[in-house]
Amino acid sequence: MTMTISRVYLFNVGRGEPEEAELWDEITEQQLADWEGEWVPELFKAMQRLRRAGIERRHWPQSRHWNWRKKTETFQEMLAFPGFSIVCDGLTQGMMIVDTTMKRCRIDHQRDRHLVYVEFVENAPWNRKELFDPPRYRGVGSILIRTAIALSEDLEFHGRIGLHSLPQANGFYANTCGMTDLGTDPDYEGLRYFEMTPEQARAFNTKGDHTT
Amino acid sequence: MGAKKTMTLNLTEAEMRVLEELSARKDLSKTALLRQALRMYQVVDARLEKGDKLFFEDEQTKEKAEVMML
Repeated sequence: MTMTISRVYLFNVGRGEPEEAELWDEITEQQLADWEGEWVPELFKAMQRLRRAGIERRHWPQSRHWNWRKKTETFQEMLAFPGFSIVCDGLTQGMMIVDTTMKRCRIDHQRDRHLVYVEFVENAPWNRKELFDPPRYRGVGSILIRTAIALSEDLEFHGRIGLHSLPQANGFYANTCGMTDLGTDPDYEGLRYFEMTPEQARAFNTKGDHTT
Repeated sequence: MGAKKTMTLNLTEAEMRVLEELSARKDLSKTALLRQALRMYQVVDARLEKGDKLFFEDEQTKEKAEVMML
């Protein structure tokens, strides 16, 4: 399969200006090496800081148990579960795996329609403001959500996307992305389920901000 | 998204009718519907190859029927 690389821009917080980055429509060995060699050690150090600061465990990043190598192996070569990544300054800044087949919409007026379901999305630890103040880059989350919307449009799902949010990201999906909050899902570890309509997708795409 | 390749598909009249009905019902073009069907077929086939079984469940009676795939 041929990988497509698109140019995107992240906001370099330290320099106070946009920086050119690449959006890859794959998760490759390079991303997994970055995850193992850069993300995981940084995440451990960040958790150590939280622990020493007396922050309760329930406020630690819930994605700390995610194993991107296992996830990628599980979904490898499956058309239904494409992966995406963002590379900037030679390092992976974010990754996402989506499901284009097995999930359906839940909002009443689009119930049972096809959608792109965001299975996993994660920002590099140094871009997460709850772990690093200030974060290195902003805009990773927004670009990945816009990528899910673009895929949804390409598949003729009209921008409809859905996801279960980890508690730390609820505000981002509700306020920044403008998705509909359908409340906690008892069948999914009590996480909140968010869904985006075609109208919300258009509004988010025209908004043009890069908050996370 | 990745570059696309073109192919010609020969369908019987009945197959074409079903494709048209389904694509209208699902609000997808015929191409989008067939791409979706291919993705789903690959998922189901991979699960069956792993030894999983595919069932339909009646929502009311909870009765399950195994789906046999070729």
